Amino acid sequence: MERMIVIGNPENRRTASLQRARERVGLPPAVVVPYLDLLRNHISLTEAAEQGGMLDGIPPLLRLDAPGENFDVERELIALGAPDAARDEGDDRLLPFGGRDDPQPMSVRAASALMEQRGRLYHPSQWFRGYGRLLARLEREAGAIWPTAGWLNAPRDIAGMFDKRSTHNVLKAAGVSVPRRLASPEALPDYDALYDTMRDARLHRIFLKLAVGSGACGVVAYQINPHSGAELATTTLAFDSFISKPPQFYNVLKLRRYTDRAVIRPIVNWLLKHGAHAEQWVAKAAYGDRTFDIRQLVVGGEACHSIARVSRTPITNLHLRSERMSMEELSLPQLVQENMRKCAEAALAAYPSSSVAGIDVLIGKDLRQPPSVVDVNPFGDLLYNVAYQGMDAYEWQMRRLGSGRRDIAR
Amino acid sequence: MSEMKLTIGYDGYEEGKKMQEMLEELANSPAAKELTSLIIGDWGGSYENDSSEIVETLVRLNGAFPQLRKLFIGDMDGEECEVSWILQSNLAPLLTAYPELLSLTIKGSSQLELEPARHEKLEELVIICGGLNADVITSISGGHFPSLKKLELYLGVDDYGFDGDLETVRPLMETGKFPALTYLGLKNSEIQDEIAIALAQAPILDQLHTLDLSMGTLTDKGAEALLGSDKVQKLQFLNLSHHYLSDGMMKRIEQSGLHADISEQQDSEDEDYRYPVLTE
Repeated sequence: MERMIVIGNPENRRTASLQRARERVGLPPAVVVPYLDLLRNHISLTEAAEQGGMLDGIPPLLRLDAPGENFDVERELIALGAPDAARDEGDDRLLPFGGRDDPQPMSVRAASALMEQRGRLYHPSQWFRGYGRLLARLEREAGAIWPTAGWLNAPRDIAGMFDKRSTHNVLKAAGVSVPRRLASPEALPDYDALYDTMRDARLHRIFLKLAVGSGACGVVAYQINPHSGAELATTTLAFDSFISKPPQFYNVLKLRRYTDRAVIRPIVNWLLKHGAHAEQWVAKAAYGDRTFDIRQLVVGGEACHSIARVSRTPITNLHLRSERMSMEELSLPQLVQENMRKCAEAALAAYPSSSVAGIDVLIGKDLRQPPSVVDVNPFGDLLYNVAYQGMDAYEWQMRRLGSGRRDIAR
Repeated sequence: MSEMKLTIGYDGYEEGKKMQEMLEELANSPAAKELTSLIIGDWGGSYENDSSEIVETLVRLNGAFPQLRKLFIGDMDGEECEVSWILQSNLAPLLTAYPELLSLTIKGSSQLELEPARHEKLEELVIICGGLNADVITSISGGHFPSLKKLELYLGVDDYGFDGDLETVRPLMETGKFPALTYLGLKNSEIQDEIAIALAQAPILDQLHTLDLSMGTLTDKGAEALLGSDKVQKLQFLNLSHHYLSDGMMKRIEQSGLHADISEQQDSEDEDYRYPVLTE
C-alpha cells in the first residue's frame, strides 16, 4: 500500500477521497493516471510509473477506479470500442460476451463527434467494448513492467463484474445465491422472445437490466399480467423517436411507468440488443411502507461498510432519490445480518483476483430465505458518510489492505 | 390479542401452495380459538386468482375463529403485486359470516364488490386502492352499518377504477347513514378539492373527530372552503398530508388554530401533473 497507482478520473471525488484517506493514514499520495490521458495516448502506464519512480522492480499496488462521470472519457471509450479502432490481437479477450456484435456500431469518427447530452445513453455495448479493450491493454502493459503486478481488482475481474450476464454465471458457479435467471441471453433476442418466455416460464415479474449499466441506469422492473394481458415497465429509461434516424435513449431522474406496449417494446428491444440480463423480481423485504436492498462493501474478504437503500419504488438505488438507512435503523435480526454479510463475502470470493467490491444484496420478504446477490460493483466503495469502526471506506481499505501484501488478492 | 398473517410468495405459489389449505390448517390449530386478527397477504398469483376462494373458505370456517375481530384481505405491497392488479371478489359474505367482526380492511379494488353491505357491529371499514369503483361506493352508502366509527376510502383515479364523481361520493357525507361515525376518510382522490368543498359545510362534520382528506390532489381551492367552515374548526384532527397547497395557504392553516397535518407538500404548478399518492 506504500506505493499506489490509481487509474481514474482525477477530478472525481473518488480520487480526492482516496488521496485524503492516504494522507490520514500517513501514506504518500497515489500516482494518479488519468483515463483521458491514457485514452488519448498522452501518457502510458510505463511512463506514469517512471515519473513516479516505480520502475525499480518493486511492484506498486494498482487500483482501477470508475471511468464514469466524465463525458470526454466516455466518448474516447466509445471510439476505442468502434469496429475501425486501432487495436491489437487479444484486445477483446476480457469481454465476457465480446463475440456478440454491437448494434448499429459507430465509427471512430462518429464516436469522436458525439456531443454531450444530459442523461443520454450513447452506446452502452460499444462503450463497454472500448473499456474492455482498455482494461486488456493495461493488464498487458502492467504485466510487462511488473511480472507480479498487484492489482487491487484484476482487470479481468472488473470486466466480469461489470457485465451482469457474466456476474450471474460466476456467482451461480461459485454457489452464491442469485435471483433465478429467466433465460440465457441467446434465448432472448427481442421483446417477443422475452414476453413469451416470461409467460411460458410463469415468471411474470422480472428485472431486465442493461448488462453493463451501473446503478439504476438501464434497469426495468417489468411485469406482465397473465389474467388481463396488461404489462407494466417501471424504469428511468426514456427515448425520443425520429423519422430519419433510430430512437435516442436517455435516463430521466423520475421513474416512469409505461403500460403501452408500443413504448415498452422499443425499450426492451434496445436493452436486449445491447446485452441485458433478465432475472426474477424477488419480492424485497419491507421497512414500513418502503422496501430496501443493501449495498455491502467487502474488503480483503471481509464485509465492512454497509448501507440500505430504502424506497417506495421497485428500483432502490443510490442515484435515485432513495433514502438510506443503516443496519441498526433497519433493526434486522442478527442472523439475517450475519447471513447478508456472509453472502456478500462469498460473492467477492468468487473473484479471487479482487480485493474490493460493493455487493448489492437482496433480502426477500421471507426473512428465513437466504439473501441473494443482485450486483457486484467493482467500484462500489464510494459510500458517503458511512463509517465502519470509525473509518470511511477509503481509510478502511488503506489500513485493512495496508499491512503488507498478504491480504491482497493475487 | 393474537394476530396472524398468512402469505404465499412466488415460490410457494409455483410449488402449489394454497391459501385455502393454510386457512384450514390454521382453523385446526390451537391458535384458532384465540385468534383476534387475521391478515391475508398475497394469496399466490393474486393478479390471476381472485379472492373468492378465500372468502368461501373463511365463510365455511367461521366457527373456528370465535374471537376474530379484525380481518385484512389483500395486505401486499408493490414488490408482490401491483395494487391495481390484485383481483378481489364480493367480500360481503365475510360480513354475514362474522357477525362479531369489528374491523375490515381491503386492499385492491379490481373486481371488488360489497353487496349486501350490512353489519351490525363493524366499527372500521378501510379500502386501500388506486381507484374505487362507483358500485362499491354506492353499496357502502346504501348499506347498513349502525356501529361504524371509521370509514376510510381511497377513491383514486379513473385510470385505476374510480368511475364515479362527486355525486357518487356525496351520499357518504349524509348524516343518519352512519350514526356512530367519528372518522371519515375520503382520500387519495383526484377530485380532492370537490370533496373538500362538498364536505366543508356538511352536517356530518358535527359528529366527526377526524376528517381525512390526505394523499389526494388538494389545492388552495379546497383548503379555502375548509378554512371558512366553523364545522371544520371544531374537528379534533384534519389530515391533509400530501397536498398541492401554496406556501401562503399552508401558513394560513397553521395560523388558523386547526389541528391539521399539512406535511408532504407537493411542488407541481401544472394541473396536469397532480396525482394522488396511490395511483396504480
